[in-house]
Amino acid sequence: MAEVRYEAASRIYPGTEIPAVNALDLDIADGELLVLVGPSGSGKSTALRMLAGLETVNKGSIFINDVDVTLKPPQDRDIAMVFQNYALYPSMTVAENMGFALKQAGVSKEQRRAQVVEAARILDLEPYLDRKPKNLSGGQRQRVAMGRAIVRSPQVFLMDEPLSNLDAKLRVQTRTELADLQARLGVTMVYVTHDQVEAMTMGHRVAVLKDGLLQQVDTPRELYRRPANLFVAGFIGSPAMNLITVPVVDGAAQLGGLSVPLPDDVRAEVARRGLDEIIFGARPEHLALADVGASGEVAVVEELGSEAYIHVRVVHGQETEDVVVRVGGETAVKRGDQVSFGIAGATHFFDPGGDRLDGE
Amino acid sequence: MSSAITEHRDETEHADHADEVRRLERREGWNRRLPILPALIFTIVVTQIPFLFTLFYSLTDWRIDTPEPREFIGFENYGALPDDKFFRDAAWVSVQMTVLAVLLSLIVGTALAILLDRKFFGQGFVRTLLITPFLVMPVVAGFLWKSQMFSATFGVLNWVLELFGFESIEFATKYPLASVVVVLVWQWSPFMMLIVLAGLQGQDTSVLEAARVDGATTVGIFRQITFPQLRPYLELGTLLGAIYLIQVYDHIDVITGGSPDSKNLPFYIAQRSIGGGNRFGLASSYSIVVVIASIIIANIGLRVLSGLLEDDS
Ligand SMILES: Nc1ncnc2c1ncn2[C@@H]1O[C@H](COP(=O)(O)OP(=O)(O)OP(=O)(O)O)[C@@H](O)[C@H]1O
Ligand SMILES: [Mg+2]
Repeated sequence: MAEVRYEAASRIYPGTEIPAVNALDLDIADGELLVLVGPSGSGKSTALRMLAGLETVNKGSIFINDVDVTLKPPQDRDIAMVFQNYALYPSMTVAENMGFALKQAGVSKEQRRAQVVEAARILDLEPYLDRKPKNLSGGQRQRVAMGRAIVRSPQVFLMDEPLSNLDAKLRVQTRTELADLQARLGVTMVYVTHDQVEAMTMGHRVAVLKDGLLQQVDTPRELYRRPANLFVAGFIGSPAMNLITVPVVDGAAQLGGLSVPLPDDVRAEVARRGLDEIIFGARPEHLALADVGASGEVAVVEELGSEAYIHVRVVHGQETEDVVVRVGGETAVKRGDQVSFGIAGATHFFDPGGDRLDGE
Repeated sequence: MSSAITEHRDETEHADHADEVRRLERREGWNRRLPILPALIFTIVVTQIPFLFTLFYSLTDWRIDTPEPREFIGFENYGALPDDKFFRDAAWVSVQMTVLAVLLSLIVGTALAILLDRKFFGQGFVRTLLITPFLVMPVVAGFLWKSQMFSATFGVLNWVLELFGFESIEFATKYPLASVVVVLVWQWSPFMMLIVLAGLQGQDTSVLEAARVDGATTVGIFRQITFPQLRPYLELGTLLGAIYLIQVYDHIDVITGGSPDSKNLPFYIAQRSIGGGNRFGLASSYSIVVVIASIIIANIGLRVLSGLLEDDS
């Protein structure tokens, strides 16, 4: 059981100038499942490996349970890590793999066996205990890697994209099992993924990283409702939020015939910054077909059965923008139709530089 | 009705197709065989034909120092072998020399490989330097060690001994087998090092990291993770090293001149024939015995090795 704290922790790889993780500040509560999410190369793995002790912390510190572990080697941190490629010990059986950490800790053979069997029972691995990793399927290997971590009841669980080698269906299933397992064990977990759906469904809180910089940490719901900046707005949510640069005229954002009045605080901020263009954001599910509003031709219809996403080609100013609008499954809209849509939910406004305009 | 017709058509299509596949496979087979054919013919000419000649000579009493004609004597040469004490001695030297040289160069090579398998400034340069002994010709290596290292008057080793107040020793005379083995190890360690290095660098780094996170010490990681993964490489090194080291001749000739304690089978056989013994028929029979024994031992060895490998995977 443990709390984890990053304090302005940075990692600068030798031979590079820009930190791969830049002054990361992050508090992870005891028993929390925190997901680190971000595009490829954003420093997620690096941040995780810093916590594991596999990567030097060049600046700042890392605490586990208020103990400064910044300079401690991995074996003194009492953490368990699941690697993306599982990193099973190829010459050992499943049971030996799972018991390895206990063996290093000097646990007796019988005790080890008992704990391994117990973990194998939780993970449905009992029939495979005497097999070598290479004779297992991908999903089984993933579970062995999990088993290796849970056998030792560590302070913190670290997972680096543990599901990315599984097929889509197994991934969804394992994702649920993993979250359930974490809740049952009540262990602190830091989970890395590049998949925002995985992040949203699993995380108690989600930390969004980009270029080594922490963009926002919040519950999935808050991330969705109130993205702190343009990057988070575009990254979280599927399909992605419509983000369109629009002119501001008379305190309203103008989008091809649709005039969206700005809320007071946004209007004040726009005036303060002297902006005449802002970025307007609305999720497809917060737009709806209407008799009046922005209009355009339907360019693409993505039919999902229960609902459909239509891409409306809106001419505004000199440019055309595709705006994605969610419609009900029974709406009969075809490619080439002329439609109009209006606002039917939350709207977001950002500075062209990416800041959210309605304050913190 | 219609289903019968389609079935029939399917069958003929099947047959046509199979013919085509067979033709392609035949061509593919030749495409593969043709490029290695010259090498194969060459190998047969230079190894198998001499072997057949040797087989034939071994059944004769051929010697070139008497004018008598070459006579066919059946297995008489082979019958003489059990009584030849020198053959037994040479066989024992062969075993010692091969086993010691292979094992020691494997140990030294592994140690060097472990040292080289970490990043440091000038790594490439050091690796090249370490490989050089392997590139030295055997005869040159022999001379180098004999005159520069072992020699009682000029040798570096004796200079060091004298520095510490010891008597100088004529190593090659006093410890002939050890002297030869030292030079063999010096030459073959780089080879083992390269093989083991390939094994070390082929390791999955995340496996080693996982072991560190799991609390293993550096020594523990080597023993429990690295070493089992290195085993196929060590076995390959052993096999290749043994194949070469069992036929050592040059080093012995140069360093000890084939004194009794350092005379291995190839050297002894050469002595009995081209080396002045002139008993070509007898020496041929010895060669045949050595070849057959080697094949038997190598086969057992290979089987044991592959058994171990399979057990591992
Ligand atoms: N050993 C290294 N040496 C130098 N730069 C590195 C090293 N490892 C990673 N980087 C750089 O650090 C940055 C962050 O890498 P990191 O592996 O943490 O990304 P990531 O978010 O895990 O990406 P992915 O989703 O692709 O795994 C990248 O720009 C990468 O190029
Ligand atoms: Mg990564």
